[in-house]
This record gives sequence, structure tokens and C-alpha cells, in this order.
Amino acid sequence: MELLTNGVGLSVVVFFPLISAFIITLIPKAQEQLIKGFALVSSLITFVLSAVLLFQFDFSSADKLQLGNKISWIKSINANYEIGIDGISLPLLVLSTFITVLAIIYSIEHLPEPKSPKGFLALILVLETGMNGTFVALDLILFFVFFEIVLLPMYFMIGIWGDKTVRTVSGFKNQIETRLYASIKFFVFTLFGSAFMLLGFLGLYYRGNKTFSIPELIELGTSGAFTGTFATLVFAVLFLGFAVKVPMWPLHTWLPDAHTAAPTVGSVLLAAILLKLGSYGFVRIAIPILPEQAKAWAPAIAILSAIGIIYGSLACLAQTDLKRLIAFSSVGHMGFVMLGIASLTPIGINAAMIGMVAHGVITGLLFFLSGSMAHTYHTRDMGRLGGNMKLLPKTGALLGFTAMASLGLPGLAGFWGEFMALLGAYNPLDGLNITVFRTSMVAGAIGTVLTAGYLLWMLQRVNLGEPSDEWSDKDLHDADIYELSAWIPLVVLTVLIGVFPKLIFGATNDAVIAMLSKAFGG
Amino acid sequence: MILPRKSKYYVAAFALLGTLFSLAPLVIQWANYSSPIYAFENSFVVDKFSIILKGLFILITYLTFLLSINFIESDKYYQGEYYYLLLSSLLGALIVSSSRDLLTIFIGIELASTPMFLLSGWKKGDRKSNEGAIKFFLLGVLSASLILYGFSLLYGLSGKLVFSDISSYLLSASLANSPVVLLSAILVISGIGFKISVVPFHSWAPDTYEGAPLPVTAYLSVSSKATGFVALIILLTKVFAGSGSSWGIILVIISGLTMTIGNLVALQQNNPVRLLAYSSISQAGFILAPIAISGITGDYQDGIFASVTYLIIYAFMNLGAFLSVHLFSNYSGSSNFYEWGGVARKSPLAGVLTTVFFFSLAGIPPLGGWFAKFVVFRSLLGSANSIGIILGVVGAINAVIALVYYARISKVIWMDELKSSNEEKIFQFENPLKVVGIFTVLITFVSGIFPGIFSYLGEVSSIFFGN
Repeated sequence: MELLTNGVGLSVVVFFPLISAFIITLIPKAQEQLIKGFALVSSLITFVLSAVLLFQFDFSSADKLQLGNKISWIKSINANYEIGIDGISLPLLVLSTFITVLAIIYSIEHLPEPKSPKGFLALILVLETGMNGTFVALDLILFFVFFEIVLLPMYFMIGIWGDKTVRTVSGFKNQIETRLYASIKFFVFTLFGSAFMLLGFLGLYYRGNKTFSIPELIELGTSGAFTGTFATLVFAVLFLGFAVKVPMWPLHTWLPDAHTAAPTVGSVLLAAILLKLGSYGFVRIAIPILPEQAKAWAPAIAILSAIGIIYGSLACLAQTDLKRLIAFSSVGHMGFVMLGIASLTPIGINAAMIGMVAHGVITGLLFFLSGSMAHTYHTRDMGRLGGNMKLLPKTGALLGFTAMASLGLPGLAGFWGEFMALLGAYNPLDGLNITVFRTSMVAGAIGTVLTAGYLLWMLQRVNLGEPSDEWSDKDLHDADIYELSAWIPLVVLTVLIGVFPKLIFGATNDAVIAMLSKAFGG
Repeated sequence: MILPRKSKYYVAAFALLGTLFSLAPLVIQWANYSSPIYAFENSFVVDKFSIILKGLFILITYLTFLLSINFIESDKYYQGEYYYLLLSSLLGALIVSSSRDLLTIFIGIELASTPMFLLSGWKKGDRKSNEGAIKFFLLGVLSASLILYGFSLLYGLSGKLVFSDISSYLLSASLANSPVVLLSAILVISGIGFKISVVPFHSWAPDTYEGAPLPVTAYLSVSSKATGFVALIILLTKVFAGSGSSWGIILVIISGLTMTIGNLVALQQNNPVRLLAYSSISQAGFILAPIAISGITGDYQDGIFASVTYLIIYAFMNLGAFLSVHLFSNYSGSSNFYEWGGVARKSPLAGVLTTVFFFSLAGIPPLGGWFAKFVVFRSLLGSANSIGIILGVVGAINAVIALVYYARISKVIWMDELKSSNEEKIFQFENPLKVVGIFTVLITFVSGIFPGIFSYLGEVSSIFFGN
């Protein structure tokens, strides 16, 4: 059992997918079944191992970093291979390994053109290493490396397997395929943020006794080592790096393009996990290390989040493309997460944590459903869809359920994140500008109404009504066993988290309280 | 001592063996190393710094030979002379890394670059090759004369040749910041600026790179550049260390301009060789940045560590990038990379290698290039100097711009449609080239995942300053 607790277990969770991806590249292309089976088994092993770690994890001290280790990595710059998890990272890590399994199950029978399962599955596994690694890294440089590793696989996933529709983009002379435009836009936006983030990390390193260790920097930060213009600048660049990833308004413009262009599984992973890397960065790095700056920036973050919520919802109302609608809904939902974080209260940050997991589960499922529908109907135009309930009863029912969950119906997972984020914003940390936060709260509350509005309207346009004649002579397939086995677990999880939010809070609460009391005292 | 053997049978196999063999004394020296050994009245030194760089130069030459074998045989070029000239250039590079006086270093620099004038015009019937070689030759002569003017000022002032004598003379006579010494430094920087092709001395590079045979271009952009940088590092830190604050500013400006202009022009290229030419100009800006800042702050150790680490990583990934260009332009018969659509599907191995090299050049973890960029940013921010921080921000923006054109190659080869004219062709990936590919890709990965191996450079650059 010691192997599980001394960091080896966590390392295996991080690197096993990478090794599997490498092995997949060695399997001959013709052996498709072997490749698929191997990818599925290795993602399952990773998930099971992360579940075993769940039992090794000592929930009574969830505020402490556990199961980790620290070994020397780059001596000359004092960067270490330092890993560990606490209550904040644990749910996200398990979510990441879990969603990857579902993504691979779905991919077994539903690969976008040009099929090539070898490359696709290998990329998913590389992506998983990046995601898991980011959640366990406790060293800024290690964090940075994992944070960036996710870029390449996602770039290729969008670029090779993405949407081939040709469209006109302002700034380009010729028409360009959606996938090509979206993939490079995603890459450049994220790299722009993270290049500056790296400069910020280096700033912390030089002011903080030349260490990249996050726990050590938190100690230094809470004892007031980082102040003045320096700290303001560092927080600004960290904000840039994380906010692009979340994405916060007005840095969100890559997201709708990337989501629309990405293959189904790509959208799922992007929404479910990749966006969380940004918000996780705020909770793990920016706030605890620079608490005073976080306090100074909190009103601005709250306002941007509120704008994001309203903007995202309004943009959704204007969409005719089903996938684009869900993408914009992500902007709104992540706005709630960031509003919760900005309140800097236990209730707000707990809301953010459950909001992240819930958004991963619900929006992941929405992307699964919309991707599958786009595949069946060969269109995402909601004007042409309609009567989905009659044509594809299983998919339609699930879509109805998920939309309800997404609009925050009490009893389902989406409710807690939204409700508690508003609660947190109503009563933010002492010393924060109450007017700003309450205004943001009101904006957020209006946002929930708008969210309900666009989701119900979407259901009306897509699910209800009579199917158009267009589809009468087409042979449409409802969800098959692979799709259902990827989706049902998410449905179950949505209900479970909705009914027992303690599943998440049990892990996060202590860690969040400890983090905040260290950062802001009391 | 560690010179490659020049045999009478100028054939590829012998050149390869000889080059590899010349690594042996280096290994022995490294193993038995105790303290720097001086020879020829302090004008030649063997220290860890020079041993590492010699190893680098020999490896680069070895890989260039491997790149050349098929190329040279296929076109009935003069084989013997080809290897002879490359080996001469290598000898020059080896001399530079050990030299500690004005004459030796000048001979080294010129021995390294003169053979390249000939080699860059190797494709005799090709007009571009001739044009490039002439440009290179004329500017090369200009650069040599600039360096010589700079040296003659120093010699006239101090009457000494050995670096340590000159710098102690300049210090004792408190001449380090006198106009003459500054003029000399500027002349030397300009002269070597041509060799490392930094703005505004870069204009020859794209034309010469495009005209020269591809292995020669690879060698030019890696080894010649590295030689120039080593010479610059040695001269600036051993001779002009006292006037660092003045040349530091000049280099900061050059470095910022080089990164930016190289990048912006590279964005417009459709010829892969010209793209790599401008990319290597931009990379030179990054290599120069830590040296520039160390001039201002006086912390040479950190600056040299960053520059040399960058040089080493850059050397291998850039060689790899040239290998990719070689493979794909041979395959598609086109020197416009937009014609390469979908070729990665014909040879996934070549496709993966290309992707690795180009994204490594862009600095994406976990490939080696990220660590190179990282140490540069580290030394810039570590200066805690506002100029350094501004240069760091410029570098960060440039790193993002560069991604656009580096990613474009991968986009074309993976995401575009395969051209129908290419469908039937068989992809040629000869064994020597595979060796180059696998070797450079391994180094690229290892240096990205375990950058700890560069830690020794930290102590090496401190040894470099202990003497």
C-alpha cells in the first residue's frame, strides 16, 4: 500500500496514459480492434487507480496535500517533481480520468473522419496525461509543463478530426475550413496567456527565495513576501494565463470556434476538463500565493464574470447552431464558477468547485448528445432540427434531462454551483465592495433566468414539434450501446451530485476553508 | 589534439568515422578533468566549457555528414572536397571554442566560415546558389575586416594579444569605457553579427540558405551560428567585460529587433528554407538576449548558462527541422510548403518527427525548446532590471507569434488534403537520415523532459569565469 501513498500511485495515474499512447503508436495501424481495446483498457486502469487513490485519501485531513512526493527534477533552477492532491484537486482528478474513459468508449464506434483510431486515441491519452498532471502538480514549472502539454493533442484533434465546413472569417482573404481556423486560434490564444503566465512564475521565483514549490510560495505569500507593483503585475499575468483558459469574457472568443469545430470527443474533453485548468489555477495558485492582490482584483473578476454570464446567455439566444449554443452556455456557466471564486468566501469557492465538476459532467454530456445528433442529422442547424423526441426518443429524452440539469434545476448537479455562487456573491469576503458584488449577483440571477430561457427554447426548437419532412425518408439511428454506456454514467453522476452534493463538498470544504483562512486570516 | 583526422581517402565513411573518433579524446579529457589546461602561452585553453562546445560542434558535423551522404552522391558533386571543406570548418569551430587570444580566435572564426563560402555555392549550375554564395562571400569579407579593425584597435591600445592581458591592461589603465574600446567592441559585434545573422546584419542569410545545398544550409544555420556565438561570448566576457553596460544596451536593442523582425518576416514565407532562415534569425535574437542582459547586470554566469543551453538545444532541433524540410521537399518536388498537403500520411514517422521539431522550435513543452526559452526568460527576469523585463515581454510576445508559422507546417502536412500528384509516389526515408531524425528527436525530448542534464552547464560557466 505504501506505493500508493508515496507518490508512485499518483505518478502512475499521470504517466500511464502517456506510456499507453506510446505503445499504441507502435501497434500496426491495421489492428484497429487491438488499438481500441488497448486504449480502453489503459484508460480504465487509470480510472480504477484514481478511484483506489480515492480510498487511500484521508478525507479527515482533506486540507492537507496527500499521496504525493517531491524529488529533484531540474536542479540548476531548483524545480522539483513535486506532486500531491488535496480536497480541491481530488474531485477534478477523478473527473478527468472518468471522462477520459467515457470519451474512449464513445470513440470506439463513433470516430469522426478521417477515422484513424490510432492517432485519435493516442492523442486522447496524451491529453489525459496533461490534464491529470496539471491537477497533481505542486511545482510551478511542472504545472506549466503539464498545462501546456494539453495544447498539442487538442490542436491536432480539432485540426485533423474537426469540422470541415468552409467559412469566411474576417481577416482572412480566402475562405477557410472551420477546423483549421479554430485549431490555430485555440493554440495561439492559450499560448499567449501562458507565455505571460510563465513570466509571472519567474517573478515569483526570484522574489520568493528561488523556489517554484507551490506550498512554499503559499507560505511566503501569506506572510506578505509579495507586495506592491510587483505583486500587481504578477497577478495580472497569472490572471491573463488562467482567464484565457477558463475562458472569461472578453478573452473567450476562441471557445465557441474551438467547440464548434472540435470533434464530439474533443468538445467533451475541452468543456469537461480543459476549461477547469484555468479556474483550478486561480484556486490553487493565484489566490493563495497572492491573497492581497486577489482581494484587490476580486471586484474586477466579479464584474467580468457577471458580464460573461449575461453575455453568454444572450449570445446563446442568438445562436442557430446547436453546438455553438452549448459552447456559449459554457461561457455563462464558467462565469458562475468565476463569480464564486471572486467572492473569496468558503461558500463561493465551494460553489466554484462543485460548479466545475457539474459543468464537466453536464456540459460534457450536452456535447456528447449534440455531437451525436450532428452526426445523425448531418446538420447542427436548429432551424432544420425539430421533433427530435419522435425521431430519436432516447437521445431526445437525454437531451431534455441534461438541459434541465444545465439550467440549474434543483435536485440535479447544476443547481448547487449556480445557487451557491450567487449566495457567495451576496455576502463576499469582508472588505470587498458589497455594491459591486451584489450588482454582480443580481446580474447572475438574471443570467439564470436567461439560461433557463435559451435552454428551454433550444428544447422547443430541437426536441418538440413535428419532425420536418426532410427526415421522413432518412434512416436515422438512435443512440447505440456505445453511446449509451458513455452517457448513462454521466446521467447517474448528475443525479447523484444533485442529491448528495456532499460527494464533492466532503472533499473540497475543508481544503477550501483552510486555504482561505491561511490567505485572509479568520 | 582533438582534430578530426584528415585522411587521404576523402570518402564519406572515413569522414564519419574520423569525426566520431575525434569525440574520444573529448570523453577522456572530460573524465580526467581537473583544472583548465593552458597551452601556447595562454592563448589556447582546454576547460569544461570548451570541451562541451567541441563535443557539440563535432556532433553537429557528424549529423551534417549523415544528412549529406545521399545528397552528395545523388548529384555527382565533388565528394572529397565537400567533406574536406566541412571538416576544415569544424576545425575552425574547435579552435574558436578554446582560443584565448586575438590571433587564434580570428583564425578560428575565419577558418570556420571561409569553407562555407565555397560550400554555399556548391550547386554550380544553379543561379540562386551562385547569388547566395556571392552575397555570403562579400558580406563575409566585410565582416572579417570589421572584426580585424576591432582587434587592431585593441592591439594598438594595449600592445597585447592574449585576452587576460588585454582586459587587465584595460582595467588598470581604466580604459574599459573609453571611446576607442567601445568602438572596438562595436566593430567586433558588427563583424560577428554577420556570422550569427542578427538584425541588421542578417540580409544575406535567407538568400544564401535558399541557394546552398540543404545539408550545408543546416550546417550554416547551426554550426556557423554557434561558432559566432561562442566567439562573441568569449570576446565580450574575456575582453570587453569592463564595458558591459555600453555594449549590453546595444545588444539588447539588436536582440529585440532580431526576434521581432525575424518572426514577422517568417510569417510571410512559403518556402520552407526561407522560413527556417528567418526563424533562425529570430532564434538568434533569443540566444543573444541573455548575453545582452548579462552585460548590463554583470552577471555573466547566468547569461552564458542560458545562451549556451539555448544553443545546444537549438542546434539539434534545428538540424531536425532541416531534415524534415529535406525529406518533404524531395518527396513533393516542391519548394513551396503549401504544396506538401497531407504528406505526413505517407510517412507518419517523418510527420511525427517534423511536428516534434517545429513545435520544439516554437517552445511547446515537453519538447526541448521550452527549456531553452525558459532559461532565457529566467535570465532576463532574474536581472531584476527593467530593460531585462521589457526584453522578456518582447520575447514572450514573439514566442506566440512564432507559433503561428511553426504550426503552419504541421497544419499543412497533417490537416490538408494529399495532392493527387503525390498519391502514387513512394516516400524515401534513407537510413542515414533516419539516424539523424531519431537522434535529434531523442535529444529534443530528453532535453525537454529531463532538462536537469543541463545543470552541469551552470557549473561550467562558473569555471569559465574562474580563470
